[in-house]
Amino acid sequence: MAEAFVAGFLAVLQWKTFSFMLIGIAVGFWVGLLPGIGGLTTLALMLPFIYDMSPVEAFAFLLGMHSVTATTGDITSILFGVPGEGSAAATILDGHAMAKKGEAGRALGAALMSSLIGAIIGAFALAISIPIMRPLVLTFGAPELFMLAVMGISFIASLSGQGGRAMIRGFLGGLLGLLVALAGLDPQAAIERFTFGQLYLWDGVAIVPVIIGLFAMPEIIDLSVRGTSIAGELPKGDLSSGVLQGIKDTFRHFWLTVRCSLAGTFIGIMPGLGGSVAQWIAYGHAAQSAQDAEERSGFGKGDVRGVLGPGAANNSKEGGSLIPTVAFGIPGSAAMAILLGAFLIQGLRPGLDMLDKNLTLTFSMVWTMVVANIITVAISLLFLNQLAKLTTVRGTLLIPFILFLAFIGAFTEHNHIGDLITLLVFGAVGYLMVRCSWPRAPLVLGFVLGEIAETNFYISTTRYGITWLYDPMVLVLMLLTVTFIVYPHLRFYLKQAESESVA
Amino acid sequence: MKPKLNLHFFLALGVAVVAGYALYAAMDWPFRTALFPKMIGVPLLLLALVEMGWSAFGAEKQREGHAVDFELTTDIDPAVARQRTLAIIGWVFGFFVLILLVSFPVGVPLFVLLYLKLAGKESWGLALVLTVLSWLLMKGLFDRLLHIPFPQGWIQSLFIQ
Repeated sequence: MAEAFVAGFLAVLQWKTFSFMLIGIAVGFWVGLLPGIGGLTTLALMLPFIYDMSPVEAFAFLLGMHSVTATTGDITSILFGVPGEGSAAATILDGHAMAKKGEAGRALGAALMSSLIGAIIGAFALAISIPIMRPLVLTFGAPELFMLAVMGISFIASLSGQGGRAMIRGFLGGLLGLLVALAGLDPQAAIERFTFGQLYLWDGVAIVPVIIGLFAMPEIIDLSVRGTSIAGELPKGDLSSGVLQGIKDTFRHFWLTVRCSLAGTFIGIMPGLGGSVAQWIAYGHAAQSAQDAEERSGFGKGDVRGVLGPGAANNSKEGGSLIPTVAFGIPGSAAMAILLGAFLIQGLRPGLDMLDKNLTLTFSMVWTMVVANIITVAISLLFLNQLAKLTTVRGTLLIPFILFLAFIGAFTEHNHIGDLITLLVFGAVGYLMVRCSWPRAPLVLGFVLGEIAETNFYISTTRYGITWLYDPMVLVLMLLTVTFIVYPHLRFYLKQAESESVA
Repeated sequence: MKPKLNLHFFLALGVAVVAGYALYAAMDWPFRTALFPKMIGVPLLLLALVEMGWSAFGAEKQREGHAVDFELTTDIDPAVARQRTLAIIGWVFGFFVLILLVSFPVGVPLFVLLYLKLAGKESWGLALVLTVLSWLLMKGLFDRLLHIPFPQGWIQSLFIQ
């Protein structure tokens, strides 16, 4: 095993493999930066290029590209409030808020360093977990996956603000997201639901316009209202000191970064949960790490922990989602499903072969993710000062370009005018939610998890009736859900009572 | 006590209407198709009604109910903020209409030029340079390189059948 581990590293360093990985990184870097050019689509578009490559070269090229899109997607989220990748939306909340406070360099430094740590943890989780993962993955059936979705939404909804009213608004957002996700053809009976007779809605509401609308539009309106640059009227200084501060922040909150990386890896392992879920759960956990209500109220307004958590989880989930793909041929995400196509093109069979005969190739995947992320972070750090200076450009010059990126990003989802209408509708919803202090994160998580939750709920009730509710693992997850909802509020009220008694 | 009919109330009312519609629409569907929408719709309606009542009759404590989320700027004069908000919403819808009329390849540079000159009051030189840049980005990257199939604008379709 140790021999294969070293052989995998050496295979990645061979000049031809390394060159293909560099090409992949270059493509992934720009794909991640530009909103609307999804890493998923690009991964699919790149598949035909691997026919003439060896398996190690092919996976160095594809994984090199795919693993850096998550890293560079965070850069656009922080600088412009438009997610470069759908799965980089959670970074906007605090990352863009920091950019507006003149701390773009710090936010970028934190995002990049936490991404690197996340990627390394995810990759090594893949390396060490293969022998022990099989029983765990097989424990999670439809009832457990449904409960995991419920737990995720409850978790983020209960952490969305202070007091009972904030929790109600959090749950309203989560339920609304779930309802929006139900639009389209019912997956079981192919009956139209909430489509208003529109063919465009048969596939459901498109995710990219929803996310861009919810997050970019309120920011664009606010930038226009302020009439300044993204960073406001703050003095223009050397941003590299901020970058260094962001890197230091990562190590100051090292265990939070590690915990969020592990959470991302775990969510990556669970088939079908996806990258957006990993980021939001990590964001919720980062918010939970606040010591008191006052500290928590800083989240969403530029707390660096709100960047570190999602940044780490977004990258670590890649290693996690490779685990079931490589070990069992069960893709952990849509990107992994495409990667499974690469296995077939290369004549490889996921499963025992990958853990035995092709172990060197499996370890070369681990090393590709590590090396690609180190190269990306190094390149990004070189240009961060220039990238961060964009936040000092006056708003009137940026607004038409941000709007252009938002519109084109939304349109590329289905290449349909309906995508632009969705963008405008959810832009209005996002603006109203911000105006009325409703959290947007639960809505996105509910929307992302809607189909997964319904499918697993359907399978659970069809297969087990109501007996799945008594399943021990389901009961444990229920207990955890209740704890997640009650504990932060209990702590909040206890602290309040304590401070009142002291006063 | 007189109810407060503010934006908070109307947002909650909107969500209640959406939930009510979902439950009404689900009445015509088979059991399996309707089960999950009903499961979501009922608590959504109830919570929206609670939020409506809270908005209309409740007094919001300092920071109570505030979201862990981005907050809009409050240090601008409300009248100016309202006027700028309406202006940018107008520009966003204008951009959408422009895309419908002349499609992306023409609409994007035209919008950039109009925005920079009318809203940004930028110089002709800078406005033209940025317009050409947006055109190059549009044409070079999204049209030629990525081959995104942009539909014809309504105006072009009048002339090209």
